[in-house]
Amino acid sequence: MSADVHLARRPTPDTPSPPDGDGRAPWLLGPALIVVALAVLVVVGAWAVILTQPTTTLPGLGVTWQRSVDFGRDLLGVDSVGTPAYADRAAWGEVLPLAVDTVVMSVLAVGLAAVGALATIGYSSRLLTVGEFGTHPRLAWPLYLLSRSMHIVARSVPDVVWALLIVFLVRPGILAGALALALHDSGVLGRLGSDVVDNLDRGPLRNLRAAGAGRVAMVAYGVLPQALPRLVTFLLYRWEVIVRATVVVGFITTAGLGYQLRLDLAFRRWTDVALVLLVYVVLVWGVDALSSALRRLAR
Amino acid sequence: MSTPSLVWVRARPAGRSLLSLLLVVAFALSVLAVAGEPVAGSGGAKAAREVLASLLRPDLSLPFLRTVAEATLLTAAYAVAAMTVALAVGIPGALAVSGVLVRRRSARLASVSVVRGLFATVRAIHELVWALLLLIILGPNPIAGVIAIGLPYGATVARVLGERLTDVPAAPLAALTSAGSSPWQTLFYGRLPLAGADLAGYLFYRFECAVRAAAVLSFIGLGGIGFQIQIALADLRFERVWPLLAALLVLVVAVDRLSRYVREAGTV
Repeated sequence: MSADVHLARRPTPDTPSPPDGDGRAPWLLGPALIVVALAVLVVVGAWAVILTQPTTTLPGLGVTWQRSVDFGRDLLGVDSVGTPAYADRAAWGEVLPLAVDTVVMSVLAVGLAAVGALATIGYSSRLLTVGEFGTHPRLAWPLYLLSRSMHIVARSVPDVVWALLIVFLVRPGILAGALALALHDSGVLGRLGSDVVDNLDRGPLRNLRAAGAGRVAMVAYGVLPQALPRLVTFLLYRWEVIVRATVVVGFITTAGLGYQLRLDLAFRRWTDVALVLLVYVVLVWGVDALSSALRRLAR
Repeated sequence: MSTPSLVWVRARPAGRSLLSLLLVVAFALSVLAVAGEPVAGSGGAKAAREVLASLLRPDLSLPFLRTVAEATLLTAAYAVAAMTVALAVGIPGALAVSGVLVRRRSARLASVSVVRGLFATVRAIHELVWALLLLIILGPNPIAGVIAIGLPYGATVARVLGERLTDVPAAPLAALTSAGSSPWQTLFYGRLPLAGADLAGYLFYRFECAVRAAAVLSFIGLGGIGFQIQIALADLRFERVWPLLAALLVLVVAVDRLSRYVREAGTV
């Protein structure tokens, strides 16, 4: 057994990798030691920072287990008086409309993100600005760099932080949450989308140009037919991600299941917490299933 | 000009048109659902002006920049620590989810479906919700934050890694098995080398996500960039928000660069 593991670290010990262009050593063998040493150093350092935080404690396994069990009992309402919320018709009647709000927020967010991404992908793709099929020679580089940086900024700031900023400008609610999610996701979709456009099959585009097609015709007949199915697939993937995040953004923009969860946690209504979590997980699974069904349609 | 468009229309499967229609209708309905709501926030135009004006005079005083640097370091530490948890959960998880080490078919089906269901539940819950739940159990403890990110990320890594391990070409594996290699040997000599190339790139992508998630852990008061942003916003000191956002940007872009470098080096 141990011999297997030892050999496995070097999957092909006897066959030297073909030398690459600049004659560097094969990646896994030469600098690997340095990389591994650096990685170990970083991991040890990170844990050192975490473990030396003033609030860090290492609770014993027994205590943690006991507390987890107690929390589980609280969620199930084992020792509480009265009907637990998940068995109460009225509680379901309150939570289900919030689930609908959450879905609306996520769909709105995906739609807005798609609009934002589609509006900018043409400028953030290398191919259509500074690459082979670029026009507007004078503005190409500024437009390309500007839209790329917009995507990077939008993507780097998490949706929750966008939400914290947006509630200063937009009334807290479904729209504010959707805007925060859409801002972050337009950056993600923008990047994925411009990668898709840059990796397009160039043949049809070259034919179109040779036939004298203008910019609009090139995009309509050369880019969109190839790129849209891929983009729609990404969009549906991102919907799955967004539905999960909607709950968290809802904490801040006081909308949907997230806000309800925040209130229930604050007031220690544990069986209500359990109900919201149940609806949340079922919702996420439902969206995952629907999204993969729709993706099959896109093929 | 008309030829390519005709070809396109004809080559287009019917499902695709239906899908486009569904998506547009869903988006339109969601817009209608919020159309009646008032848009402007309580602060209105005045708050908007203040936020934008603060962009021009960010707080770059030395003590505050120190705070920014410390918060950035803490956020990076959370992300790295969370990734170690994610790998510790995800690698054994991938073996369990893919069932590549179990020979008996019935045992494999049983173990795989149980583990898959468990991981699907863990994954469905957002890392911040995990953080809130773990805080109840562990108290205000950075360990709770690390586990909160590491657990759902580990479940995701398990799924992706597991899929890669099962989606390798069958012929080389059959060759190994017929030569009498055990499931472990098949894993190390067959599946891992076949699946390995772009795994590092994927893990770095998860790391980039972990950086963002770590920044958001503020929400439950565990420190880091998001925590400082929250404080700055609560005090209406917008001029402090921008340097913090810039630090987060630098961190995310740095990880992104690193991941691109690893991906390119790995595919040599």
